[in-house]
Amino acid sequence: MDTQFIVSLAIILATFALYIYIAVYNKAKATSDFYVASRGVPPIWNGMAIGADWMSAASFIGMAGTIMVLGYDGLAYIMGWTGGYLLLTFLLAPQLRKSGSYTVPEFIGDRFKSNTALVIAAICTMIISFTYSIGQLSGSGVVIGRLFEIDAKLGTMIGVVLIAVYAAFGGMKGITWTQVAQYLVLIIAYLVPVIFMSLQITGNPLPWLSYGEIVGKLGELDRELGLSEYFAPFEKGTKWQFLALMFTLMAGTAGLPHVIARFYTVSTMKAARWSGAWALLFIGLLYFSAPAYAAFSRFILMTQVAGSKISELPAWTKTWVDTGLLKVADTSGNGILEWTELVIANDIVVMATPEIANLGAFVIGLVAAGAMAAALSTAGGLLIAISSAFAHDIYYRILKPTATDQQRLKVGRITIVVATLLAGLIALNPPGAITQIVAWAFALATGTFFPALVLGVWWKRSNAQGLIAGLLVGLGVTLAYIFAAKYGGFTILGIIDTGAGIFGAIAAFATNIIVSLATKPPSQEIQDSVINLRYPEQMTYKDGEVFMKE
Amino acid sequence: MKKIDKNIADAYFREKNIYMVIYFIIWALVSYGIVLIAEPLSNIYFNGFPFHYFMGAQGALAVFIILLFVNAIVGDKIDKKYGIDHRKNEEIGSNSTVNH
Repeated sequence: MDTQFIVSLAIILATFALYIYIAVYNKAKATSDFYVASRGVPPIWNGMAIGADWMSAASFIGMAGTIMVLGYDGLAYIMGWTGGYLLLTFLLAPQLRKSGSYTVPEFIGDRFKSNTALVIAAICTMIISFTYSIGQLSGSGVVIGRLFEIDAKLGTMIGVVLIAVYAAFGGMKGITWTQVAQYLVLIIAYLVPVIFMSLQITGNPLPWLSYGEIVGKLGELDRELGLSEYFAPFEKGTKWQFLALMFTLMAGTAGLPHVIARFYTVSTMKAARWSGAWALLFIGLLYFSAPAYAAFSRFILMTQVAGSKISELPAWTKTWVDTGLLKVADTSGNGILEWTELVIANDIVVMATPEIANLGAFVIGLVAAGAMAAALSTAGGLLIAISSAFAHDIYYRILKPTATDQQRLKVGRITIVVATLLAGLIALNPPGAITQIVAWAFALATGTFFPALVLGVWWKRSNAQGLIAGLLVGLGVTLAYIFAAKYGGFTILGIIDTGAGIFGAIAAFATNIIVSLATKPPSQEIQDSVINLRYPEQMTYKDGEVFMKE
Repeated sequence: MKKIDKNIADAYFREKNIYMVIYFIIWALVSYGIVLIAEPLSNIYFNGFPFHYFMGAQGALAVFIILLFVNAIVGDKIDKKYGIDHRKNEEIGSNSTVNH
């Protein structure tokens, strides 16, 4: 295991050195080219950068395991986390780009001409990003715990320190080329084990084409054991839960502040729609592969691990049992580990499978490096979203408009440290699997920003009162439903905590519309600026007339 | 700055929205639509998969990606039809954030 530790650590450190090198190199270059270079990064590279930003520990570490455990019901995550890009690219990204704001709270503050709206939007940003970052810390705990063969809790604590330091680098985040490198590391680390497993099991190097028959075989194995088939629909939850979860993840994608922020950096509305298309293509590479990963892992566990003698379990089981995330108890006492006696946490499937399939030290190390890239890059972005919401939108614009740059920077740094520590504290005893925690963040975005932004962009009559009432009601309903479903056992149509966003969204849309109609319409100037978002940059709407710049 | 007929600008907006509605109908059919009728579809097999599983794991995602690229290409065509110049847009776009 010592060799494994050295190889994994070496690959992680090498990839980090690469990110930092690119960041430093590009920073120097960007300053010298500042006045001549066009600011637009070509959409294809921007798409990769969005992919790195987007794919967090939930996608990389959590998703395949969740699909393995939930079977067909887990595919709501695949469709939900990709289908949302259509909502984002068609309904919001180009229009928000034309508005010219830099952050979501800023857009809301400008669109509704209200500081109260700005503050509430900033608070919602902080709550959503904070929830999301709990999942990332929990993910880094899994990786670091395995690396040092320690309890995942200790791993989380080390992760907290790493992420706080990483986020303090700050500037690195915005450098597209670093994110392109992170995307490449992440996608290679994800594809290599799936392709190897596909070769090992089916002899076909294209997992996407070959794993269909494995899915069929898993169903047969389940039938023999008297379990419900792997691919049988709605075994782990109702059909309504599936639909509600899928909607929550889609709408949440379109409402996540740190994802939307990425589209503010493209050069035009045209670039926004191309970036969305490229981003989903690159993200899709991982999402096409995750169900294959899940199927191969389950197949190997069912055919090669289950059924072996408890006393002769391979070495990998011990290291994972040490992290507290794998249980191999011979409850039936027959000396043989049966499939039903193997309790594997969702979150270790991706990390453990390369070891289970015996893919060698290099592949195992590569997967660890990919997982760290996913967790750290997204966590960094989330913490920066939290700190700018507090230091810029609340502290500078409302509390102390006279604050100097240094004061704001200091407040921003303190926010990052406090937020990381708090999130880390919660992540010590994660309240759910990574995908589940992240799904709550999506539910909150679905209940707050999705209705607020869709109405803000597409309905000129939406006013500040409606927006504020909608945000508060949406936030309240979503939070209340998550807690009631998770801890109170309260459900409607079998929809559990992860699908809470649908109720938040309905409540927020209704409240926003009713309150807006019951109060004074926004000023003509605001209404004109909303109509103006309909047209490309060259067309300007003003006083009922459209002008074209030539 | 040249004033253009508001009807032309509205036609631009309407044309884009019609396409958007078509995309969203397809989007909803391949995801929500398939999930709604997942049980009967599970008896049909495609490339080794039960069909509902194939759509959830690969089919819907492939359609999403195609729709996004179709939107990008069609969007460019519509812009061209209405005489939108992208160089000009880039200029205006970069100014709008600098002024901020």
